Amino acid sequence: MKQNKKMIVCFLTPALIFFVLMFLYPIIRTIVMSFFKVEGVSDAVDTWQFVGISNYQKLFATSIFQISMINMGKIWLIGGIAVMAIALLFAVILTSGIRFKSFWRAVIYVPNIINAVAMATMWIQYVFNKRFGLLHSMFAALGLEDLAGIDYMNGSWKFWSLLIAFCFGSVGYFMLIYISGIERIPQDYYEAATIDGANKLKQFIYITLPLIKGVFKTCMTFWTVSVVGFFVWSQMWAAPQASDMQTITPFVYMYNIVFGTTGNVQRDAGMGAAVGILMAVVVMIVFFIVNKCVKDDDLEF
Amino acid sequence: MFGKKNNKEKEYRQPLNLRKEIKLFPGYILVGLWVAFTIFLLVWIVAASFSTAPEIMRGEVFKFESGFHPENYVNAWTASNISGFFMNSLLYSIVTMVCVILISAPAAYVLSRFTFLGNRPIKSSFIIAMSIPQVMVVLPLFSLATATHLTGSRIVLILLYIGMQVPYTTTFLMTFFQNLSRTYEEAAAIDGCSPMMTFWKIMFPLAQPGIITVGIFNFMNIWNEYFISLIFASSADTMPVGPGLKSVLTSMQYTGDWGGLFAAVVIVFLPTLVLYIFLSEKIISGVTGGGIKG
Repeated sequence: MKQNKKMIVCFLTPALIFFVLMFLYPIIRTIVMSFFKVEGVSDAVDTWQFVGISNYQKLFATSIFQISMINMGKIWLIGGIAVMAIALLFAVILTSGIRFKSFWRAVIYVPNIINAVAMATMWIQYVFNKRFGLLHSMFAALGLEDLAGIDYMNGSWKFWSLLIAFCFGSVGYFMLIYISGIERIPQDYYEAATIDGANKLKQFIYITLPLIKGVFKTCMTFWTVSVVGFFVWSQMWAAPQASDMQTITPFVYMYNIVFGTTGNVQRDAGMGAAVGILMAVVVMIVFFIVNKCVKDDDLEF
Repeated sequence: MFGKKNNKEKEYRQPLNLRKEIKLFPGYILVGLWVAFTIFLLVWIVAASFSTAPEIMRGEVFKFESGFHPENYVNAWTASNISGFFMNSLLYSIVTMVCVILISAPAAYVLSRFTFLGNRPIKSSFIIAMSIPQVMVVLPLFSLATATHLTGSRIVLILLYIGMQVPYTTTFLMTFFQNLSRTYEEAAAIDGCSPMMTFWKIMFPLAQPGIITVGIFNFMNIWNEYFISLIFASSADTMPVGPGLKSVLTSMQYTGDWGGLFAAVVIVFLPTLVLYIFLSEKIISGVTGGGIKG
């Protein structure tokens, strides 16, 4: 018994040290920091000035932050509906007994294993390129000169081109989660339904959907986490600038006010911390709502 | 090409049922178009990486009128310092991958095998940690790095990467140790092997399939990481491929070396793509294993 105790301590300590240093301590410090006026990130604690909730008030009054929140909301809602729908559709198709299933599945997941900077470069420099891009040459070949002339990397198009590229890459990941959920449903449910005369659509609505509710919950949480962490795509679309009003997200805004090198933004680490807290609150709210709305009934299968 | 198929899928393949295939036709079309687009995108980039800038501008990357141009790769590798970024990424990914396993596997083992005070809270904190947005932890980490004078070094990046992957890896490996039979430990105890030796000599090798999966997964995650390295590796010497490629992109837009740019893109995604082509089944099982339940 004594030997076991020694082993538990020895085996657990390294992981716990990393956990405390990488998560516990930073979270607490970020929460505290968000209530103080702090200019530079690494300023000593005794230079911090307690300001209550004024960091949050200032944030909500800042128009750039408002825009970034709206952008994030649009990505979450519109992108979320598109990604969840396409991912679920593909998951259903791939589990319907289609041939070469592993091949399709593997290729659809490919964008997730490619470095996001490389992926974004392909989209920006090739698909959306206004001179030799895929969309340009496709529309030009079809004789649609108006569509061929669109610059997807400018103006209001910028947000949509970003959203399309980001969603394209996300589908594979959520598809895998849906597939694993669907494959856990016993096959005899469908056989029984087929015998009773239910068609594929009915089977999907009355068997598949109710039984993957739990998976949907997981997907919503993961989607929210990934939208809150929306950073590299936004930066790539704004390049060579640090950010762009069309594509800015709270994460990018935080980066600009804390680590920004462009002169016009005033540095404010306290406000940056407040952004971090707000993002965590967003994730928690979504998690809470999803858990309230989608009840886990204790289905055993 | 994409790993071995399991038996269940072989069953589907044997009889070619035409009526069933026709019913599935719309499904084939949708998935086929999506997949064709993905493959075309990659093939175009590879073709462009062997072409010259004028050819790319004219949209004629598949003709190779002036022949192949592998020198694009030489240019990207040497002139724009992709080699440096590549080596950094390789170092970060491999060191992190090994260290995370050495830290997480023992932790996962005791968490899944023994009941003790704090077991449950630790497990749930690891699960919560997996969905903590990076925005929330990055500021204190930066001040911590400044306070310990580690900013700008390679060590700080490796330590951060290890910390980032520990919760996921531990949670993932717990399910593997849970499924191992306790008789191994009992037999080892009778033979007089101490619990710690039992772990390293018997249990750790037995969990190998899980360890390999999670290791590859971590390797890819670190290879593709962007935000942490953007903040903590500000100089070109310590930069990994993510921010490195972005800096190449900025400079290449002025030089107009499109072939070199696409060659750099290919160099950056090739390692993970090659790993994926050989190990896609394992990697995909890593996505849906571990923390994801539902």
